[in-house]
Amino acid sequence: MTVDMTFGISFTSGTPVYLQLVEQVRTAAAAGAIRPGDPLPAIRPLAEQLRVNRNTVAKAYAELESQGLVQTLAGKGCFVRPTPSPYRKDVRRRLVAEALDAAVVHAHHLQIDRDEFLRVAEERFDALVARRARAAGITP
Amino acid sequence: MTDPVIDIQTLVRRFGRTDAVNGLTLRVQPGRCYGFFGRNGAGKTTTIKCLLNLLRPTTGRVQVFGLDPARHELAVKSRLAYVPDHVAFYPWMSVRDTLTYCASFRAAWNMETERALLDRFRLIPGQRTGHLSKGQRTQLALIAAICAEPELLVLDEPTSGLDPIVRREFIEAVIGAYQDGDPERRTVFVSTHLIAEFEGLIDEFTIIDAGREVLTLDADGARQRYQRIYARFAEEPAPFALRGARVCEQRGRELQVVADRAAGDVLEQLRAHAPEVLTTEALSLEEIFVSTLRGREAAA
Repeated sequence: MTVDMTFGISFTSGTPVYLQLVEQVRTAAAAGAIRPGDPLPAIRPLAEQLRVNRNTVAKAYAELESQGLVQTLAGKGCFVRPTPSPYRKDVRRRLVAEALDAAVVHAHHLQIDRDEFLRVAEERFDALVARRARAAGITP
Repeated sequence: MTDPVIDIQTLVRRFGRTDAVNGLTLRVQPGRCYGFFGRNGAGKTTTIKCLLNLLRPTTGRVQVFGLDPARHELAVKSRLAYVPDHVAFYPWMSVRDTLTYCASFRAAWNMETERALLDRFRLIPGQRTGHLSKGQRTQLALIAAICAEPELLVLDEPTSGLDPIVRREFIEAVIGAYQDGDPERRTVFVSTHLIAEFEGLIDEFTIIDAGREVLTLDADGARQRYQRIYARFAEEPAPFALRGARVCEQRGRELQVVADRAAGDVLEQLRAHAPEVLTTEALSLEEIFVSTLRGREAAA
């Protein structure tokens, strides 16, 4: 089966290209656009399509594998794993907290106060749940 | 650390009184795609000719696969392939005969890749090379280079003067057909001033100017190091000093700055002036190239 997953990269985002690919796979998995057992695109056609170095895509897949999100089956390719996070709950909390710190600082500089920030966070969470539901074919 | 595929040390190549290359040092590790950027006449082609023993260094040292190309020409050339800017074949030979002729000099020849690339480039095997367009001649040269499965692919301005579709297909073939073989033994050394097209492929680069190295960086590091910062203020700010910013452009309430390494520090300084908008964006490799060489002109 083919997975509806489009990659887009930017050389001016300040994020290394391989990490952009990692983030996009993580987002697609969180949103249910790709599900456990789904294959990721093969390295060569994806590299050609994005016109990036083959090693960049290989590095992204290796990073996803080390994060426990995908597994490589020899001769078959890269697949989304059934249980994505191998981390303990406290580690997972810490990783989310680190990501949130950046958003909180950003909000501060944009004069978004605590209540408004929490409202935005709720909205974004609901949006993700809705996307997952749509991807699963359920109307919320 | 593995041995470099290309090792150039304080290379000088003089033509009469002109130093085309003037003390260049660079090193390319195996498996890398290395960009060699410079303006016309910066010394790129002269350097490449020294790698291929088409020119001898005046002074300095050039090694390919750890060997001196002048003393071990055959050993070096059997492991690399070269696609120049201007490609010439025997015009009376067909595409098919040309490839057979090229293959006869090579220890390895991948027929499957040959078929796939002829197909992809829509080249007709029976056509005489004298009737091919410039783009088709370059495509044929690339097929001949890739099918030999060399450890090093040297490209000198390979896509200049070609149309956008041919340029795109060229780069895709380098990524797909060449790089896919054995990633650890597939090194690309590409000189170009069409930097944007090769941006995704490049993982390290050297900018040369007047025969000397100006900047060598890995591509991701370079894009993190150089940031364009844009700020808009409520009112036109009184002039203020900005540490760590290289190029400044101010139009009324708007300010554009290029930070080299010090993006965080520059952002802090700008925040102190309470901007309405403050954004930052990495420079592309082409912009880094332009900004680096402009900076030198300004300093000269």
